[in-house]
This record gives sequence, structure tokens and C-alpha cells, in this order.
Amino acid sequence: MSKQSQGLQDMNPSAMEGLTLTCGSPRSLLTAFDRTNTESAKIRAIEKSVVPWVNDQDVPFCPDCGSKFSIRNRRHHCRLCGSIMCKKCMELISLLLANKLTSASRDALSTHTSPNQSPGSVHGSRRGSIGSVSSMSSVLDEKENERIRCCRHCKDTLLRREQQMDEREHTPAITRLYEKLRLCMAKVDQKAPEYTRMAASLNAGETTYSLEQASDLRLEVQKMYELIDALSKKILTLGLNQDPPPHPTTLRLQRMIRYSATLFVQEKLLGLMSLPTKEQFEELKKKRKQDMERKRMLERQAAPESQCRLEDKQRGPAANGEVAPTRKAEGWLPLPETQGQREDPDPLLQQIHNIESFIKQAQAASRTDEVRTLGENLRQLQDEYDRQQTAKAIELSRRQAEEEALQCEQLQRLREREWERERERERKQAASLHSRTQALDSREAAPFLLEPSRGPRPHPAFALELGSSSGSGMAPETPSPCAVWALSQESLHQSTEPQQNDCALNSFSRDFFSSPAVVQAKLPREYNPFEEEEEEEEEAVAAGNPFTSPDSPAPNPFDSPAPNPFEDGNDVPNRSPASPPVPGNPFEEPTGTNPFEVDSDSCPEAEEPIEEDLLLQQINNIKAYIFDAKQYGRLDEVEVLTENLRELRCTLAKQKGPPE
Amino acid sequence: MNVVFAVKQYISKMIEDSGPGMKVLLMDKETTGIVSMVYTQSEILQKEVYLFERIDSQNREIMKHLKAICFLRPTKENVDYLIQELRRPKYSIYFIYFSNVISKSDVKSLAEADEQEVVAEVQEFYGDYIAVNPHLFSLNILGCCQGRNWDPAQLSRTTQGLTALLLSLKKCPVIRYQLSSEAAKTLAECVKQVISKEYELFEFRRTEVPPLLLILDRCDDAITPLLNQWTYQAMVHELLGIKNNRIDLSRVPGISKDLREVVLSAENDEFYANNMHLNFAEIGSNIKNLMEDFQKKKPKEQQKLESIADMKAFVENYPQFKKMSGTVSKHVTVVGELSRLVSERNLLEVSEVEQELACQNDHSSALQNVKRLLQNPKVTEFDAARLVMLYALHYERHSSNSLPGLLVDLRNKGVSEKYRKLVSAVVEYGGKRVRGSDLFSPKDAVAITKQFLKGLKGVENVYTQHQPFLHETLDHLIKGKLKESLYPYVGLSTLRDRPQDIIVFVIGGATYEEALTVYNLNCSTPGVRIVLGGTTVHNTKRDNNVSC
Repeated sequence: MSKQSQGLQDMNPSAMEGLTLTCGSPRSLLTAFDRTNTESAKIRAIEKSVVPWVNDQDVPFCPDCGSKFSIRNRRHHCRLCGSIMCKKCMELISLLLANKLTSASRDALSTHTSPNQSPGSVHGSRRGSIGSVSSMSSVLDEKENERIRCCRHCKDTLLRREQQMDEREHTPAITRLYEKLRLCMAKVDQKAPEYTRMAASLNAGETTYSLEQASDLRLEVQKMYELIDALSKKILTLGLNQDPPPHPTTLRLQRMIRYSATLFVQEKLLGLMSLPTKEQFEELKKKRKQDMERKRMLERQAAPESQCRLEDKQRGPAANGEVAPTRKAEGWLPLPETQGQREDPDPLLQQIHNIESFIKQAQAASRTDEVRTLGENLRQLQDEYDRQQTAKAIELSRRQAEEEALQCEQLQRLREREWERERERERKQAASLHSRTQALDSREAAPFLLEPSRGPRPHPAFALELGSSSGSGMAPETPSPCAVWALSQESLHQSTEPQQNDCALNSFSRDFFSSPAVVQAKLPREYNPFEEEEEEEEEAVAAGNPFTSPDSPAPNPFDSPAPNPFEDGNDVPNRSPASPPVPGNPFEEPTGTNPFEVDSDSCPEAEEPIEEDLLLQQINNIKAYIFDAKQYGRLDEVEVLTENLRELRCTLAKQKGPPE
Repeated sequence: MNVVFAVKQYISKMIEDSGPGMKVLLMDKETTGIVSMVYTQSEILQKEVYLFERIDSQNREIMKHLKAICFLRPTKENVDYLIQELRRPKYSIYFIYFSNVISKSDVKSLAEADEQEVVAEVQEFYGDYIAVNPHLFSLNILGCCQGRNWDPAQLSRTTQGLTALLLSLKKCPVIRYQLSSEAAKTLAECVKQVISKEYELFEFRRTEVPPLLLILDRCDDAITPLLNQWTYQAMVHELLGIKNNRIDLSRVPGISKDLREVVLSAENDEFYANNMHLNFAEIGSNIKNLMEDFQKKKPKEQQKLESIADMKAFVENYPQFKKMSGTVSKHVTVVGELSRLVSERNLLEVSEVEQELACQNDHSSALQNVKRLLQNPKVTEFDAARLVMLYALHYERHSSNSLPGLLVDLRNKGVSEKYRKLVSAVVEYGGKRVRGSDLFSPKDAVAITKQFLKGLKGVENVYTQHQPFLHETLDHLIKGKLKESLYPYVGLSTLRDRPQDIIVFVIGGATYEEALTVYNLNCSTPGVRIVLGGTTVHNTKRDNNVSC
């Protein structure tokens, strides 16, 4: 992607050659110097051996100041680079500095690899001299001899090096704090996901992790957050009350670090979900168990249902779900899983399944002729099975209808009694309120029209539809006068429930699903008598005594003056066939009142006891938000937040109060 | 072929390479813009970059506990600053990245300055352009040409920017340029030169169909930047001005302090990303939805937090709420200001006439409309001048051209000299004499029938009739029908197949309308990826500055 251009590192060795001369030599020179500081002649020799001195004749003028060398203005050699300058331009390095430079380079700079460092020359040379240097330094300072002559350039380099060394050794407070901060953040990054996993699993009622373990971990992570908060705060206020106030850039840096720490805490802390308490956990475990059981039950129930659907032509063999593994065997074997999983009650069904799996295998092996013959067989079998099922369904629906009729009779009786009472009350009240029979009204009226004594035997589907619609649709919206009725209706329904459950799941359901057209076709035909009867009834109602429709809370004044019963009556029944009863309705019923679900739903939500460390955590969070809001000057938010904070604190105090 | 992604990756790589520890990002004026287009502050804070400094700022404090990441253009100035910096290092260690090819001698002088061995790395990362959208880049150069010819400094900057783009997208293209423009030809040759000089850099994996760089000149289509736009991004740019994703709202009456300057970045602002290419009416309804959404989530002012559960919910929703409130207030302010300007300046009416001027050929009705609008006191002098400019460009050679009359009208309206001069300047810049192709009257049969059909059907939206000329050019290019006589190749290599990866560069600046065209083309033509760039991104004001 990008060309790595010639790095400075690569360039360094050549560019640094000058430095090698100046920096590399003093060390070796000093060590030599140290050992033999008494013998000046030897010194000179050693000095010269370290770096070749520039020839006196080559330099007539001081290269730095330009003054001419003479007997009075003598030449001086730099002991480090060998160049010549005048006395004025000469610099001296104290042994102390030299000492420091060389010793530090061994200890502190040992990690810093520079091309001019040759450890061999330094090694072992310092041991004896350190003590003597410190004791003699005051004396030595006086004598020029004991200092190293060097040129200005070399000294500059050395001084810079000294400064660099100082900086390296000294880590400012902010760096130390910052390192700690990062450490904490890294730990959070590592622990938080682990905790989230645990909490999620515990909240789901699983028992993979123990609650204690999780809460320990939570505590640990929370402590980390507190630490991060504290550290970043410390960084923020670092050096604020020093005498020369810190440079604005430093302050900016500190603010930024604090800000990013706040961001970090905000982002991560909110991901920490809370743990359930012990009691809750027990509850959750129980619930999960129930859930599992229910699931198992449902699966068991689902099995026959799916079979029903299976033989349904629309679904076809795809409903099976499992993909048959290709078999290279000669004959087609029934697939083990289809056999093992469902023991089909009907031998015909069993056969159908087998053939289906044969077909799949044949398809996989691409033997088309076999597929064709098998398909033929399957069709015959299915036709046979369909015939059987239809017969059964008719039988079942008849029984169902009879029961339904019985229910309706009872229902009717109940309702009539209710009406009687209602009428009584209405009569006592001002008779100004007129009826407003509209869609819901007439629908609600429908069941009683189904009275078996008067009407023809209703089609089972229709009966069921009406029953369920009045049960499910009406019950929730009925206001008080009708509540009793709704209740009785409900109870009636529930009594029919189990029975519905049984049949609905196999043949009956199929009837509904597969032949809605039949139902629809029959409906209008059977509607006519109803319609008439409804009209009669409406008339009777209108003529007899108006009663408030139970679910129109405020009777419409525009409707009331002259309610035309015919219009209403005609309107509604005409409309209802246009929107045919949803065949699925009866199905919704059984699932809605599934005893298992009721069970699980009815288990009351336990009052959530207030958790203390959750509280503490919230308090911390809110504090962070306040800080944040203040920073951006949103005072209104600050107010609201402070209010919340106060409330939280009160709660906390209350909590802590009683136990103590 | 995503320029935002390319630049962002460069920056991420830089930060990653420097390892853990507190960091400062040292930039120059231009790279600051480049970085800010792709990274937000909070994003970059998370990567331990806490300070942002300009290399040319003098009173930076010595902070040896920081690592410095330098992202600089390889200019002489920057190298000098860097040399000074390295002689007296303020930070512990330096990671140096140049945004373009740097000469060996500069590297050498840097190495010599590095007496304290503080430089850890020197690399070239070719993020030398402003990535506006994934498919749109800009170089933020105003006034790149003087008359018909390049300003030499800008030519080299443009060449650098363009080659950096090619390098960052890893494309070694075949180059075509617009014959009628001398500037396009010069630039094309310069780019070619760089490619052949730095041939090692341009050795990428060969694709079956080589990518194509098409260099155009703004003067070929001076109409597009003169039109009022109605898509969100383009409108904001036209009426408020977007500079490096920032919008200056300080002139909005009654603006609150923290909304003086807002950032609109598709990278971080979901609402903006979804709506930047939608037109104004749609934005209105979307912003209403956003508001409603927000109202639902908004905690009531003095909402009592009754239980711990309430409190928990509050605390959990708070950051999300805060972020949302920022977005909502930002967009509501921006859209509110836009609609204020639209009604104040009578822009709907103006725009309708503009579109008529640009797209239809009915001289007398156009003239009438322009005259009518010039009488309207609500139309600003700027918009009035703009209408006359469009008229001048379209009916330049019309037999009954009444430009002088319109200019008199302008003067009567009290339009200042400055704007009136613009009219002739625009004609000079993008008049018929200059244009290589015909903007207004279609030539080939297909185009004529198309226009005829359009006339029959009527126009769907009077404010968006205009299709930028670029659309036609690109359409031809994709179909392999772009005439070689008008858009010749540089050098010998030609493209046999239909191009797949196309980079279009417009000297004198692209517009957001063209960006939208490219965006739509990218969406509608599978297998074709287009990136549009320009020396700048235009609105009418800037265009006028260019042509002056």
C-alpha cells in the first residue's frame, strides 16, 4: 500500500557518525583518565590514543571565534573530538558530569540501543572510582587538570545527552497515574464481557454459573470503575494548585484524559446488567424449568399437528423438515429419524411418511422413474387418507355442533335472565336512552339467535366462530352491565376448551384450514334465516324497550331520535358475510387459554427489592452525568439530575436505616 | 473505491503503529482537515490520542511523556518545522507520516536533525485529499486557474492530490481528458509524468480492465453550480456552506451557543447518512418523525422517578437520549434555517425559473419570468444576478438576446457592481466559445427524442429537472461511447472494454448535485464504481469566486 520510505533509522548510522566521534569517545576516554590521573605524560598519550589530535599547523585561526593563534593565544585540543580552539572558546567538563554520563549510560540507558554504544569499553571501569570521585570532587573542581577539556560543540552534545538522561529517569506523576488508569481499563475490557455472559445466563435462569461467583465478579468490575473514576479525577486535578500554574496544554491533556475515561465508563458501565437476587434467581430457575417443560409438551403436541399438516397437499413433504441423507443403498429405507421421532397413530400416515422418505432418497440419487412410481403410490395413499380424515372430521364436527348448541342454549338462558334484569333497570331509569345497535351489537346478538329450537342446525364452523368472537372480542370491552354475562360466557368457553383442544389439533383443524371455501360457501346460504330472525328480534327490541348497548359508553344523540331497526339489522348481517369469519379464530382460542401459559403468566412478578450496590452504582452514574452536563453548561439537566441524585440518596439512607 | 475508508485506515494504522501510551497528533493546516473528515474526537480519544497540535504553533509545551504522531504534507515549510522540532524535541518519540511522496534529500536533512534519536518511524501514507463522502473527494483549492491556465503552485498541489488518491485506492489508471480544456490536458500530463516517475509505487495487482481517470474542466458545464439544489446535503452547502463537514450557523438569528457550529458527518450521524441525498420535502417529514420519536423517549422534565426500576431505566436511557437530543436539535436547527432562507429568498420560485432556464428552450417565456423575478423585492441581488447569468449562458447567441436589457434591470434593482460584473465573467468562463460540447441543445437523435418525450410527459418535479452534464458524460463512458475525439487518452494506452473503476476529476470543482448523480449511478449500475473529485466542492458563491 505505501512505500516505506527510507526511514530515519536507516539513515542514522551514517548521519550519526559525527556523534560517534563526540559521544562515543568521552566514555572510553574518561575511564582511561580515571585510572591514571596522576601521570600527566601518560594521560596525554592515552588522550591521543582515544582520538587523533588535529595537527597544530593545519589550524591558524580559532574555528569558532576566528582569532589568530600565537604564543599568547595558544591552541587547545578538544579531548573528545581532537579539534583545535582558543582558550576562550574552550569548555571544561567536570568529572562529576562525566561520571554521571558514563555510569548512567550503563544502567539507565542500557536498553536504549544507540549505534555508538560499545558496552565493552565501559564495562567494569567504574567500580573503583565512584567513591574517590565523590570525596575528591570539591578539590578537583579547583584544578583545571581534573576536568576534561573539550570544545563547545562537544559540550553541547553532552549536556543535551545529560538532559535526555534526566528525562528518561524521571517519570512525571501524570504518566504513572495514566499507566494505572490504562491497566484498569484493560482489566475492565477483559472482565466485563465475562461478567455480561454470566449475568445473561443467570438472568435466564440457567445454572451454569453460580450467583456468588457472578456477584464477586460484578463487585470487582465495579471497583475497577471506581478506580478509573478516581484516577482520572486525580489526573484532572494534577498540579492545579501549584504555584506556577501548569501550562494550558498540560491542562488540556488532563481534561482530555478525564473526558475519555468518562466516556469509557459511560459506555461500558451501562452494558453491565444487574444480577438477580437470590430469591429472584430461585424464581427464575423455576420459571425456566416450567418453560422447558412447556416446550417439551408443545413439541409433543406439535408432532401430531405437523403430521396433519403434512398430509395437507399444500404443505407437501416439505413440512417434514429433515433433509434425507443420500443413501447409496439398493432399496429405499424409511429414514430412521422419521420413524423414531413420531410413532404415527395411523398406519396410513406411517406408510405415507415412508414413501415420502423413499421419494426423497430416490430424488437424491436421481432415479426419476422410481420417483414417479413412488409419487403415484403416495398420491393414492394420500387420497385414501384424506377420505378417511374427512369422514372423521364430519363426524367430529357433528358432535362438536351438538355440544355447541347445548352451550348456546344455556348461554341464551343466562342472557335472557340478564336482559330481564337489565330491562327492569332501564324501565326505572328515564326511557330516553335509545338503543344503538351497530356492528358489535348485532354480532353479540348473534349467539342467541342460534337457539337450536328456532333456527336450523347451525354449521359447526359458524357456531364456533360466533362463540369465540363473542368470547374473545367482547369480553375485554364490555362495561359493567355486561360483565356478568361476559364472565358466564367466558366460563362456558373454558369448559369447552379441553374438548376443543383435543379435536382441533388433528382432524378438525384440517377441516378449517384446508376447506375455508366450503365454510364460506355454506355460510351465506345459512345466513338468510338468521337475518330474518335478527330483524325480527331487532324489531322486537326496538318496539319493546330500548336498552343501552352495553359497549357504547356514550349513546349517540344523533342516532337516538329515530333508530331504524331495519336499516341496522339489514346493514350488519349483510356486511358480515363480506368479511367471512376467520377460520383460524377457534385456533387462537385454545392457544390463548393454554393451561400452561396461564400457569406461567399467573406467577406474579415479585416485587423487586432494592439492591444496595445497584443503588450505589446508579448514584455514581448520575454523578458522572451531572459532571458531564455541567461541562456542557446544560443547567436544566443538571437540576433534574441533582434532584434524582437526592432521591436516590434518600432511598439509600432508608435502606440502610432499618437493618442497623 | 471508498475514499473515506481509505483515509480512515491510514489514520488508524498510524495510531496503532505507535503503540500504547498518551499521544499527541501533530498536523499542519491541511492534514488537520483531512483527519477531521474521517475521525471524530471521541473516536480518536479512545485510541489514546489526547492532544492535537499544529506543527507551526510556536508555544507548544515540552511534554516528554507523550508520543508524537506527525501527519504532515511533505512541503518545504513542514520539513523545516520538523527539523526545528527534532533538534529540540518536545515529545519523547516521533512517528512521522507524510501524506505524499517525499524527496530523499528531505529525508536526509531530517535524519541529520535527529541528533537525539527521537524518530521511530518515517512513512508515506497517501491521505492527501479531503474525503467528503465515500465517493466524493475534494482538494479544497479555490481559484486553481488564472484565466485559462494553471496557477503553477496549484497545479502541483492538484497533481499531488490526485496521485495520492490513486495510490490510496491502489489504482494505476488509463487517463482521458477533456480536449477543449488546456488545463485538463496539462493536469493529465502531469499525473502521467508522476506515474511514470514513481512507477514502483504504482505497481499494483493488474485488474482485467484497468481503471480510468477522466479529467474534466468546470467551464464545460458552468450551469450546474449556478442552480439551487433541493437535496439535503447540497442545500446545506448552497445556503449555509459546508467546510470539512462543518457548518457555520453563527449567522442564524437567535442561535444558541453550542449550535454556532455543527458537524454534519455521514459517518457518525445516522439521520444525516440516511437523508443527505433526499430532497427537501422528504427531509421535512423525516425530521418530523425524528422529533416524534424523540418526544417519546424524552424523559419528562420533572418526571418523578418513583421506583428503582424507573431510575434504572432513566439511567440506562440517558446517554442514548443525550445523543439523540444532540442530533435532533442539530437537524431541526439546520432544516429550520434552510426553510427560513427558502421562504425569505423566495427560492422556490427562483429555482423554478432557474430550472426552466437550464432545461427548456423557450426563450420568450424564460425572459418574461426572469424579468418578473427581477421586479420581486424578495429576490436577493445575488439570486437576481444568478438568474441573469443563467440566461446569459443559455441564450448567449440567441437572435433576440436581451441581455443588455436585463443588465439594466439589474442595475435598477440596485444590484451592486460586483455582482453585475459576474455575469460577463461567467460568460467568459463558461460561454459557448469555451465549451467543448453543447449543453443545451441535444445533437444526436436519441437525445432529441428523449427530450421530446420529456416534453410530452410533462415534468415530474419542476425543481429537479436538471440533470448535470456529467451524467451524460458518464453514461456514455460506461457504455463505451464517449467520443475519443472529444476526450482523448494520454499516451498510447487505450481502453478496449467498458470501464469498471472510474475516477472523475473536475478542475474548478465538483458540485453536490454531481455527487448525487455519481451516487445514483453507483447504485444503479452494478459492476461500475465511480469516485468523483474536484479541486473543491462548489456552491454558487464559490463558483463565482473561481470564475472571477
